[in-house]
Amino acid sequence: MNDPYSTLTRKLFAAPEHVAASGGEPDTGSSVYTEAQGVRIRLSAVVAGGLITELRFRASGCPHVIAACEWLCRSIEGKPVEALGEFKPAAIMQALAVPVAKTGRILVLEDTARALGERLSRTQDS
Amino acid sequence: MSGDWIYLDYAATTPVDPRVLEAMQEHLAIDGRFANPSALHPAGRSSAAAVQKAAEAVAQLVNCDPGRLIWTSGATESNNLAIQGVARARSHHGKHLVTMPTEHKAVTDVYKALEADGFELSWLAPEATGVLDPAALEAVLRPDTQLVSIMYVNNETGVVQDVASLGRICREHDVAFHVDAAQAVGKLNVDIAALNADLVSISAHKLYGPSGIGALYVRKRVGLNPDPLMFGGAQQGRLRPGTLAVHLIAGFGAAAMLARESLVDDFAHVKALRDRLWQGIRSTPGLTLNGDLASGYPGILNVSAEGLDGESLLLALEPLCVSTGSACNSQSQEPSAVLRALGVPDEQAESAIRFSFGRMTTEAEIDAAAELYGQAVRSLRALMPEAA
Repeated sequence: MNDPYSTLTRKLFAAPEHVAASGGEPDTGSSVYTEAQGVRIRLSAVVAGGLITELRFRASGCPHVIAACEWLCRSIEGKPVEALGEFKPAAIMQALAVPVAKTGRILVLEDTARALGERLSRTQDS
Repeated sequence: MSGDWIYLDYAATTPVDPRVLEAMQEHLAIDGRFANPSALHPAGRSSAAAVQKAAEAVAQLVNCDPGRLIWTSGATESNNLAIQGVARARSHHGKHLVTMPTEHKAVTDVYKALEADGFELSWLAPEATGVLDPAALEAVLRPDTQLVSIMYVNNETGVVQDVASLGRICREHDVAFHVDAAQAVGKLNVDIAALNADLVSISAHKLYGPSGIGALYVRKRVGLNPDPLMFGGAQQGRLRPGTLAVHLIAGFGAAAMLARESLVDDFAHVKALRDRLWQGIRSTPGLTLNGDLASGYPGILNVSAEGLDGESLLLALEPLCVSTGSACNSQSQEPSAVLRALGVPDEQAESAIRFSFGRMTTEAEIDAAAELYGQAVRSLRALMPEAA
Protein backbone atom coordinates (compact mmCIF):
# COMPACT_ATOMS: atom_id res chain seq x y z
CA MET A 1 0.00 0.00 0.00
CA ASN A 2 1.27 3.46 -0.85
CA ASP A 3 1.71 6.09 1.83
CA PRO A 4 -1.84 7.14 2.77
CA TYR A 5 -0.59 10.60 3.74
CA SER A 6 0.73 13.33 1.49
CA THR A 7 3.95 15.12 2.38
CA LEU A 8 1.95 18.21 3.37
CA THR A 9 -0.40 16.15 5.56
CA ARG A 10 2.55 14.62 7.34
CA LYS A 11 4.17 18.01 7.84
CA LEU A 12 1.07 19.71 9.22
CA PHE A 13 0.21 16.73 11.44
CA ALA A 14 3.71 16.46 12.86
CA ALA A 15 4.18 20.12 13.71
CA PRO A 16 0.96 22.11 13.92
CA GLU A 17 1.64 25.77 14.77
CA HIS A 18 -1.93 26.90 15.44
CA VAL A 19 -2.91 24.79 18.42
CA ALA A 20 -4.91 26.69 21.04
CA ALA A 21 -3.11 27.01 24.34
CA SER A 22 -5.95 25.56 26.37
CA GLY A 23 -8.50 22.89 25.57
CA GLY A 24 -11.02 24.01 28.10
CA GLU A 25 -12.33 27.25 26.66
CA PRO A 26 -16.08 27.64 26.94
CA ASP A 27 -18.33 28.29 23.95
CA THR A 28 -17.88 32.03 23.80
CA GLY A 29 -18.35 34.59 21.12
CA SER A 30 -14.99 33.65 19.62
CA SER A 31 -14.96 29.86 20.02
CA VAL A 32 -17.02 26.98 18.58
CA TYR A 33 -16.95 23.26 19.42
CA THR A 34 -18.27 20.52 17.14
CA GLU A 35 -18.40 16.75 17.62
CA ALA A 36 -19.50 14.37 14.84
CA GLN A 37 -18.24 11.43 12.77
CA GLY A 38 -15.81 10.48 15.53
CA VAL A 39 -14.16 13.89 15.18
CA ARG A 40 -14.00 16.63 17.82
CA ILE A 41 -12.93 20.12 16.81
CA ARG A 42 -12.75 23.45 18.62
CA LEU A 43 -11.92 26.59 16.65
CA SER A 44 -11.28 29.90 18.33
CA ALA A 45 -10.42 33.29 16.88
CA VAL A 46 -9.24 36.75 17.75
CA VAL A 47 -10.68 39.48 15.55
CA ALA A 48 -9.44 43.02 15.15
CA GLY A 49 -10.84 45.53 12.67
CA GLY A 50 -12.89 42.87 10.92
CA LEU A 51 -9.84 40.71 10.31
CA ILE A 52 -9.04 37.37 11.92
CA THR A 53 -5.71 38.06 13.54
CA GLU A 54 -5.50 34.68 15.27
CA LEU A 55 -7.21 31.40 14.43
CA ARG A 56 -6.47 28.45 16.70
CA PHE A 57 -7.73 24.87 16.91
CA ARG A 58 -7.80 21.85 19.11
CA ALA A 59 -8.90 18.55 17.57
CA SER A 60 -9.20 14.85 18.08
CA GLY A 61 -9.41 12.70 14.97
CA CYS A 62 -7.39 11.10 12.24
CA PRO A 63 -4.20 12.67 10.83
CA HIS A 64 -6.09 14.21 7.92
CA VAL A 65 -8.45 16.03 10.31
CA ILE A 66 -5.59 17.44 12.38
CA ALA A 67 -3.66 18.46 9.29
CA ALA A 68 -6.83 20.02 7.82
CA CYS A 69 -7.36 22.10 10.97
CA GLU A 70 -3.81 23.41 10.76
CA TRP A 71 -4.20 24.09 7.01
CA LEU A 72 -7.42 26.01 7.65
CA CYS A 73 -5.83 28.17 10.35
CA ARG A 74 -2.87 28.99 8.13
CA SER A 75 -5.16 29.84 5.20
CA ILE A 76 -7.65 32.00 7.06
CA GLU A 77 -5.46 34.00 9.43
CA GLY A 78 -5.22 37.62 8.33
CA LYS A 79 -8.40 37.43 6.26
CA PRO A 80 -11.82 38.96 6.96
CA VAL A 81 -14.28 37.06 9.16
CA GLU A 82 -16.35 36.24 6.06
CA ALA A 83 -13.55 33.96 4.84
CA LEU A 84 -14.63 31.35 7.40
CA GLY A 85 -18.02 31.05 5.69
CA GLU A 86 -16.44 30.85 2.26
CA PHE A 87 -14.20 27.95 3.19
CA LYS A 88 -14.43 25.15 0.61
CA PRO A 89 -13.82 21.58 1.79
CA ALA A 90 -12.74 20.60 -1.72
CA ALA A 91 -9.75 22.91 -1.43
CA ILE A 92 -8.45 21.10 1.65
CA MET A 93 -9.27 17.70 0.20
CA GLN A 94 -7.16 18.55 -2.82
CA ALA A 95 -4.33 20.26 -0.96
CA LEU A 96 -3.88 17.41 1.50
CA ALA A 97 -4.96 14.56 -0.81
CA VAL A 98 -7.62 13.50 1.67
CA PRO A 99 -9.25 10.18 0.71
CA VAL A 100 -12.85 10.50 -0.47
CA ALA A 101 -13.92 8.13 2.32
CA LYS A 102 -12.98 10.84 4.81
CA THR A 103 -15.08 13.59 3.21
CA GLY A 104 -17.52 13.50 6.12
CA ARG A 105 -14.78 14.36 8.58
CA ILE A 106 -13.69 17.38 6.54
CA LEU A 107 -17.33 18.49 6.40
CA VAL A 108 -17.28 18.56 10.21
CA LEU A 109 -14.45 21.08 9.96
CA GLU A 110 -16.47 23.06 7.40
CA ASP A 111 -19.47 23.14 9.77
CA THR A 112 -17.23 24.32 12.61
CA ALA A 113 -15.64 27.03 10.51
CA ARG A 114 -19.00 28.30 9.25
CA ALA A 115 -20.45 28.28 12.77
CA LEU A 116 -17.48 30.26 14.03
CA GLY A 117 -17.83 32.71 11.14
CA GLU A 118 -21.52 33.26 11.91
CA ARG A 119 -20.81 33.73 15.59
CA LEU A 120 -18.02 36.21 14.94
CA SER A 121 -20.25 38.14 12.53
CA ARG A 122 -23.01 38.40 15.15
CA THR A 123 -20.50 39.57 17.74
CA GLN A 124 -19.24 42.25 15.36
CA ASP A 125 -22.79 43.38 14.55
CA SER A 126 -23.89 43.66 18.18
CA MET B 1 16.67 -1.60 14.89
CA SER B 2 16.85 -1.78 11.12
CA GLY B 3 17.94 1.85 10.78
CA ASP B 4 14.76 3.22 9.20
CA TRP B 5 12.26 1.82 11.67
CA ILE B 6 11.65 -0.20 14.80
CA TYR B 7 9.68 -3.29 13.86
CA LEU B 8 7.22 -4.46 16.54
CA ASP B 9 4.64 -6.09 14.28
CA TYR B 10 5.72 -9.72 14.47
CA ALA B 11 2.12 -10.92 14.78
CA ALA B 12 1.49 -9.55 11.28
CA THR B 13 4.57 -11.19 9.82
CA THR B 14 8.03 -12.16 11.00
CA PRO B 15 11.26 -11.49 9.14
CA VAL B 16 12.76 -14.54 7.50
CA ASP B 17 15.48 -16.04 9.65
CA PRO B 18 18.82 -15.87 7.75
CA ARG B 19 19.19 -19.65 8.20
CA VAL B 20 15.80 -20.13 6.54
CA LEU B 21 16.84 -17.92 3.64
CA GLU B 22 19.95 -20.03 3.20
CA ALA B 23 17.87 -23.21 3.10
CA MET B 24 15.55 -21.70 0.48
CA GLN B 25 18.33 -20.59 -1.82
CA GLU B 26 19.28 -24.21 -2.41
CA HIS B 27 15.99 -24.67 -4.28
CA LEU B 28 15.94 -21.83 -6.77
CA ALA B 29 18.74 -22.04 -9.31
CA ILE B 30 19.91 -24.55 -11.92
CA ASP B 31 22.60 -25.89 -9.62
CA GLY B 32 20.07 -26.55 -6.85
CA ARG B 33 17.07 -28.76 -6.13
CA PHE B 34 14.53 -26.63 -7.98
CA ALA B 35 12.72 -29.25 -10.07
CA ASN B 36 9.05 -30.09 -9.97
CA PRO B 37 8.74 -32.65 -7.15
CA SER B 38 6.02 -34.51 -9.05
CA ALA B 39 8.49 -35.31 -11.84
CA LEU B 40 9.85 -38.84 -11.97
CA HIS B 41 13.39 -37.91 -13.06
CA PRO B 42 16.29 -37.64 -10.60
CA ALA B 43 15.98 -33.86 -10.21
CA GLY B 44 12.29 -34.21 -9.43
CA ARG B 45 12.93 -36.99 -6.94
CA SER B 46 15.53 -34.80 -5.25
CA SER B 47 12.96 -32.01 -4.87
CA ALA B 48 10.40 -34.51 -3.59
CA ALA B 49 12.88 -35.59 -0.93
CA ALA B 50 13.30 -31.97 0.13
CA VAL B 51 9.53 -31.59 0.39
CA GLN B 52 9.34 -34.74 2.49
CA LYS B 53 12.11 -33.50 4.76
CA ALA B 54 10.22 -30.23 5.28
CA ALA B 55 6.98 -32.09 6.02
CA GLU B 56 8.78 -34.11 8.66
CA ALA B 57 10.18 -30.93 10.24
CA VAL B 58 6.76 -29.27 10.39
CA ALA B 59 5.18 -32.47 11.67
CA GLN B 60 7.79 -32.76 14.41
CA LEU B 61 7.10 -29.21 15.50
CA VAL B 62 3.38 -29.91 15.99
CA ASN B 63 3.51 -33.67 16.72
CA CYS B 64 1.52 -35.06 13.82
CA ASP B 65 1.89 -37.51 10.96
CA PRO B 66 3.71 -35.67 8.11
CA GLY B 67 1.49 -37.49 5.67
CA ARG B 68 -1.52 -35.59 7.01
CA LEU B 69 -0.16 -32.16 6.08
CA ILE B 70 -1.48 -30.38 2.99
CA TRP B 71 0.68 -27.52 1.68
CA THR B 72 -1.23 -24.31 1.04
CA SER B 73 -0.40 -20.68 0.31
CA GLY B 74 -0.81 -19.75 3.99
CA ALA B 75 -3.26 -19.73 6.86
CA THR B 76 -5.99 -17.93 4.91
CA GLU B 77 -6.09 -20.72 2.34
CA SER B 78 -5.77 -23.36 5.05
CA ASN B 79 -8.76 -21.86 6.86
CA ASN B 80 -10.77 -21.69 3.65
CA LEU B 81 -9.93 -25.27 2.73
CA ALA B 82 -10.77 -26.53 6.21
CA ILE B 83 -14.02 -24.62 6.63
CA GLN B 84 -15.45 -24.58 3.12
CA GLY B 85 -14.08 -28.00 2.35
CA VAL B 86 -15.51 -29.76 5.40
CA ALA B 87 -18.76 -27.79 5.59
CA ARG B 88 -19.58 -28.59 1.99
CA ALA B 89 -18.39 -32.21 2.18
CA ARG B 90 -20.57 -32.87 5.24
CA SER B 91 -23.54 -30.71 4.26
CA HIS B 92 -25.69 -33.74 3.54
CA HIS B 93 -25.40 -34.60 7.27
CA GLY B 94 -26.34 -31.12 8.47
CA LYS B 95 -25.62 -27.44 7.96
CA HIS B 96 -25.01 -26.11 11.45
CA LEU B 97 -21.59 -24.49 12.03
CA VAL B 98 -20.03 -22.84 15.09
CA THR B 99 -17.32 -20.21 15.54
CA MET B 100 -16.48 -17.02 17.47
CA PRO B 101 -16.50 -13.33 16.50
CA THR B 102 -12.94 -13.06 17.83
CA GLU B 103 -11.58 -15.30 15.06
CA HIS B 104 -9.42 -13.88 12.27
CA LYS B 105 -11.31 -12.57 9.24
CA ALA B 106 -9.88 -15.49 7.28
CA VAL B 107 -12.26 -17.57 9.40
CA THR B 108 -15.22 -15.27 10.12
CA ASP B 109 -15.59 -14.14 6.51
CA VAL B 110 -15.60 -17.76 5.31
CA TYR B 111 -18.34 -18.61 7.77
CA LYS B 112 -20.34 -15.54 6.73
CA ALA B 113 -20.05 -16.64 3.10
CA LEU B 114 -21.31 -20.10 4.02
CA GLU B 115 -24.16 -18.56 6.01
CA ALA B 116 -25.16 -16.59 2.90
CA ASP B 117 -25.06 -19.90 1.06
CA GLY B 118 -27.66 -21.56 3.31
CA PHE B 119 -25.61 -22.80 6.27
CA GLU B 120 -26.76 -21.99 9.80
CA LEU B 121 -24.19 -20.30 12.01
CA SER B 122 -23.84 -19.98 15.81
CA TRP B 123 -21.46 -17.33 17.15
CA LEU B 124 -19.96 -18.06 20.57
CA ALA B 125 -19.22 -15.03 22.74
CA PRO B 126 -16.04 -15.07 24.82
CA GLU B 127 -15.85 -14.07 28.44
CA ALA B 128 -14.43 -10.62 29.25
CA THR B 129 -10.91 -12.09 29.24
CA GLY B 130 -11.44 -13.30 25.68
CA VAL B 131 -11.43 -16.95 26.68
CA LEU B 132 -14.30 -19.24 25.66
CA ASP B 133 -16.01 -21.23 28.39
CA PRO B 134 -16.10 -24.87 27.15
CA ALA B 135 -19.60 -25.18 28.61
CA ALA B 136 -20.77 -22.48 26.19
CA LEU B 137 -19.53 -24.59 23.29
CA GLU B 138 -21.20 -27.74 24.60
CA ALA B 139 -24.49 -25.88 25.03
CA VAL B 140 -24.65 -24.81 21.40
CA LEU B 141 -23.80 -28.14 19.75
CA ARG B 142 -26.70 -29.93 18.01
CA PRO B 143 -27.16 -33.23 16.21
CA ASP B 144 -26.75 -31.40 12.89
CA THR B 145 -23.60 -29.48 13.90
CA GLN B 146 -20.82 -30.34 11.45
CA LEU B 147 -17.90 -28.05 12.20
CA VAL B 148 -16.49 -25.84 14.95
CA SER B 149 -13.61 -23.36 14.39
CA ILE B 150 -11.77 -21.86 17.36
CA MET B 151 -8.37 -20.18 17.08
CA TYR B 152 -5.50 -21.15 19.40
CA VAL B 153 -3.88 -17.73 20.00
CA ASN B 154 -5.74 -14.55 19.12
CA ASN B 155 -3.84 -12.40 16.63
CA GLU B 156 -4.88 -9.08 18.20
CA THR B 157 -4.83 -9.74 21.93
CA GLY B 158 -2.72 -12.88 22.41
CA VAL B 159 -5.58 -14.58 24.26
CA VAL B 160 -4.96 -18.34 24.39
CA GLN B 161 -7.96 -20.68 24.15
CA ASP B 162 -8.18 -24.03 25.92
CA VAL B 163 -8.40 -25.77 22.57
CA ALA B 164 -7.76 -29.25 23.99
CA SER B 165 -10.88 -29.04 26.17
CA LEU B 166 -12.92 -27.59 23.31
CA GLY B 167 -11.66 -30.32 21.01
CA ARG B 168 -12.60 -33.02 23.51
CA ILE B 169 -16.18 -31.73 23.57
CA CYS B 170 -16.33 -31.73 19.77
CA ARG B 171 -15.00 -35.25 19.61
CA GLU B 172 -17.54 -36.47 22.17
CA HIS B 173 -20.27 -35.01 19.94
CA ASP B 174 -18.71 -36.29 16.70
CA VAL B 175 -18.29 -32.75 15.39
CA ALA B 176 -15.28 -31.80 13.26
CA PHE B 177 -12.98 -29.38 15.11
CA HIS B 178 -10.83 -26.85 13.26
CA VAL B 179 -8.10 -24.81 14.97
CA ASP B 180 -6.49 -21.76 13.37
CA ALA B 181 -3.06 -22.10 14.97
CA ALA B 182 -1.27 -19.51 12.82
CA GLN B 183 -0.28 -17.44 15.86
CA ALA B 184 0.53 -20.45 18.04
CA VAL B 185 2.75 -22.77 16.03
CA GLY B 186 6.41 -22.03 16.62
CA LYS B 187 5.53 -19.94 19.66
CA LEU B 188 3.77 -22.35 22.00
CA ASN B 189 4.30 -26.07 22.36
CA VAL B 190 1.54 -27.11 19.94
CA ASP B 191 0.80 -30.83 20.19
CA ILE B 192 -1.85 -31.66 17.62
CA ALA B 193 -2.25 -35.17 19.02
CA ALA B 194 -3.26 -33.69 22.36
CA LEU B 195 -5.54 -30.99 20.93
CA ASN B 196 -8.30 -33.35 19.75
CA ALA B 197 -8.27 -31.27 16.56
CA ASP B 198 -9.33 -32.58 13.17
CA LEU B 199 -8.04 -29.66 11.15
CA VAL B 200 -5.21 -27.26 12.06
CA SER B 201 -4.15 -24.21 10.03
CA ILE B 202 -0.47 -23.27 10.08
CA SER B 203 1.46 -20.43 8.47
CA ALA B 204 5.21 -20.17 7.81
CA HIS B 205 5.54 -16.39 7.87
CA LYS B 206 4.52 -16.19 11.51
CA LEU B 207 7.50 -18.33 12.53
CA TYR B 208 10.39 -16.74 10.60
CA GLY B 209 9.62 -18.63 7.40
CA PRO B 210 8.64 -17.12 4.04
CA SER B 211 5.25 -15.65 3.13
CA GLY B 212 3.19 -17.62 0.64
CA ILE B 213 3.39 -21.02 2.26
CA GLY B 214 1.32 -22.68 4.93
CA ALA B 215 -0.18 -26.02 5.76
CA LEU B 216 -3.42 -27.62 6.78
CA TYR B 217 -3.33 -30.67 9.01
CA VAL B 218 -6.22 -33.00 8.24
CA ARG B 219 -6.76 -35.86 10.67
CA LYS B 220 -7.35 -39.29 9.20
CA ARG B 221 -10.94 -39.88 10.09
CA VAL B 222 -13.94 -41.41 8.35
CA GLY B 223 -16.18 -38.68 6.95
CA LEU B 224 -13.56 -35.95 7.24
CA ASN B 225 -12.44 -35.53 3.68
CA PRO B 226 -12.68 -31.84 2.76
CA ASP B 227 -13.91 -30.97 -0.71
CA PRO B 228 -11.14 -29.27 -2.72
CA LEU B 229 -11.39 -25.56 -3.46
CA MET B 230 -9.36 -25.84 -6.65
CA PHE B 231 -9.06 -28.34 -9.47
CA GLY B 232 -6.31 -29.00 -11.94
CA GLY B 233 -3.94 -31.76 -10.97
CA ALA B 234 -3.30 -34.84 -8.89
CA GLN B 235 -0.92 -33.20 -6.43
CA GLN B 236 -1.64 -33.66 -2.72
CA GLY B 237 -4.34 -36.22 -3.36
CA ARG B 238 -6.21 -33.71 -5.57
CA LEU B 239 -7.18 -31.83 -2.40
CA ARG B 240 -4.86 -28.96 -3.25
CA PRO B 241 -3.61 -29.27 -6.81
CA GLY B 242 -0.76 -27.26 -8.29
CA THR B 243 3.01 -27.57 -8.54
CA LEU B 244 4.56 -27.46 -5.10
CA ALA B 245 6.74 -24.43 -4.35
CA VAL B 246 9.81 -26.36 -3.22
CA HIS B 247 11.82 -23.32 -2.10
CA LEU B 248 8.95 -22.07 0.07
CA ILE B 249 8.28 -25.50 1.52
CA ALA B 250 11.98 -25.97 2.27
CA GLY B 251 11.96 -22.57 3.98
CA PHE B 252 8.92 -23.57 6.00
CA GLY B 253 10.68 -26.80 7.02
CA ALA B 254 13.84 -24.95 8.04
CA ALA B 255 11.80 -22.43 10.03
CA ALA B 256 9.94 -25.26 11.77
CA MET B 257 13.21 -26.97 12.69
CA LEU B 258 14.60 -23.71 14.13
CA ALA B 259 11.37 -23.00 15.98
CA ARG B 260 11.50 -26.42 17.62
CA GLU B 261 15.07 -25.81 18.75
CA SER B 262 14.41 -22.33 20.12
CA LEU B 263 10.82 -22.62 21.35
CA VAL B 264 11.65 -22.26 25.05
CA ASP B 265 14.22 -19.49 24.52
CA ASP B 266 11.94 -17.57 22.16
CA PHE B 267 9.06 -17.71 24.63
CA ALA B 268 11.21 -16.50 27.52
CA HIS B 269 12.64 -13.75 25.29
CA VAL B 270 9.26 -12.31 24.21
CA LYS B 271 7.88 -12.57 27.74
CA ALA B 272 10.77 -10.53 29.10
CA LEU B 273 10.29 -7.96 26.33
CA ARG B 274 6.53 -7.76 26.86
CA ASP B 275 7.02 -7.23 30.60
CA ARG B 276 9.68 -4.59 29.94
CA LEU B 277 7.42 -2.68 27.54
CA TRP B 278 4.46 -2.91 29.90
CA GLN B 279 6.57 -1.53 32.72
CA GLY B 280 7.69 1.26 30.42
CA ILE B 281 4.22 2.42 29.40
CA ARG B 282 1.84 1.32 32.16
CA SER B 283 1.98 4.67 33.96
CA THR B 284 0.65 6.48 30.88
CA PRO B 285 -2.54 8.26 31.98
CA GLY B 286 -5.74 6.68 30.65
CA LEU B 287 -4.03 3.48 29.49
CA THR B 288 -6.06 0.27 29.31
CA LEU B 289 -4.76 -3.24 28.68
CA ASN B 290 -6.81 -5.22 26.14
CA GLY B 291 -6.42 -8.91 26.97
CA ASP B 292 -4.85 -10.66 29.89
CA LEU B 293 -1.15 -10.53 30.80
CA ALA B 294 -1.27 -13.64 32.95
CA SER B 295 -2.88 -16.07 30.52
CA GLY B 296 -2.16 -14.53 27.12
CA TYR B 297 0.68 -15.29 24.71
CA PRO B 298 3.37 -12.78 25.76
CA GLY B 299 4.51 -11.97 22.23
CA ILE B 300 1.52 -9.61 21.91
CA LEU B 301 0.64 -6.56 23.99
CA ASN B 302 -2.56 -4.67 23.10
CA VAL B 303 -3.26 -1.34 24.81
CA SER B 304 -5.65 1.57 24.40
CA ALA B 305 -5.11 5.22 25.33
CA GLU B 306 -8.31 6.93 26.38
CA GLY B 307 -9.75 9.45 23.94
CA LEU B 308 -7.13 9.11 21.21
CA ASP B 309 -7.61 8.20 17.57
CA GLY B 310 -5.77 4.99 16.66
CA GLU B 311 -4.80 6.17 13.19
CA SER B 312 -3.28 9.37 14.53
CA LEU B 313 -1.52 7.44 17.25
CA LEU B 314 -0.08 5.05 14.67
CA LEU B 315 1.31 7.94 12.61
CA ALA B 316 2.63 9.77 15.68
CA LEU B 317 4.45 6.58 16.69
CA GLU B 318 6.54 6.42 13.49
CA PRO B 319 9.23 5.15 12.99
CA LEU B 320 7.75 2.52 15.26
CA CYS B 321 5.97 -0.18 13.24
CA VAL B 322 2.96 -1.48 15.17
CA SER B 323 -0.67 -2.19 14.30
CA THR B 324 -4.11 -0.91 15.10
CA GLY B 325 -5.99 -4.17 15.45
CA SER B 326 -4.86 -6.81 13.00
CA ALA B 327 -2.79 -5.82 9.99
CA CYS B 328 -5.42 -7.25 7.72
CA ASN B 329 -7.84 -4.73 9.26
CA SER B 330 -5.63 -1.73 8.76
CA GLN B 331 -7.60 -0.42 5.78
CA SER B 332 -10.86 -0.56 7.70
CA GLN B 333 -12.05 2.41 9.73
CA GLU B 334 -14.25 0.20 11.90
CA PRO B 335 -13.11 -0.55 15.46
CA SER B 336 -11.75 -4.05 15.91
CA ALA B 337 -14.44 -6.75 15.94
CA VAL B 338 -12.21 -8.74 18.29
CA LEU B 339 -12.10 -5.99 20.90
CA ARG B 340 -15.81 -5.31 20.48
CA ALA B 341 -16.51 -8.98 21.20
CA LEU B 342 -14.51 -8.64 24.41
CA GLY B 343 -16.87 -5.85 25.44
CA VAL B 344 -14.31 -3.11 24.85
CA PRO B 345 -16.19 0.18 24.16
CA ASP B 346 -15.71 1.57 20.64
CA GLU B 347 -13.90 4.66 21.90
CA GLN B 348 -11.37 2.46 23.67
CA ALA B 349 -11.08 0.06 20.73
CA GLU B 350 -10.41 2.98 18.35
CA SER B 351 -7.17 3.83 20.15
CA ALA B 352 -5.95 0.23 20.42
CA ILE B 353 -2.35 -0.41 19.45
CA ARG B 354 -0.94 -3.91 19.11
CA PHE B 355 2.75 -4.34 19.88
CA SER B 356 4.14 -7.74 18.93
CA PHE B 357 7.67 -8.98 19.42
CA GLY B 358 9.85 -11.80 18.29
CA ARG B 359 13.19 -13.53 18.16
CA MET B 360 15.06 -10.54 16.69
CA THR B 361 13.54 -7.85 18.96
CA THR B 362 16.02 -6.20 21.31
CA GLU B 363 15.67 -4.52 24.69
CA ALA B 364 16.88 -1.27 23.12
CA GLU B 365 13.98 -1.41 20.66
CA ILE B 366 11.53 -1.98 23.49
CA ASP B 367 12.92 0.98 25.44
CA ALA B 368 12.70 3.18 22.35
CA ALA B 369 9.13 1.99 21.74
CA ALA B 370 8.09 2.85 25.29
CA GLU B 371 9.60 6.31 24.92
CA LEU B 372 7.91 6.89 21.54
CA TYR B 373 4.55 5.72 22.87
CA GLY B 374 4.70 8.12 25.81
CA GLN B 375 5.68 11.02 23.53
CA ALA B 376 2.95 10.23 20.99
CA VAL B 377 0.23 10.02 23.63
CA ARG B 378 1.36 13.29 25.20
CA SER B 379 1.51 15.14 21.88
CA LEU B 380 -1.95 13.99 20.75
CA ARG B 381 -3.47 14.73 24.14
CA ALA B 382 -2.07 18.26 23.84
CA LEU B 383 -4.25 18.69 20.74
CA MET B 384 -7.47 17.37 22.25
CA PRO B 385 -10.33 19.77 22.86
CA GLU B 386 -12.64 19.57 25.82
CA ALA B 387 -16.34 19.20 25.14
CA ALA B 388 -18.52 22.30 25.11
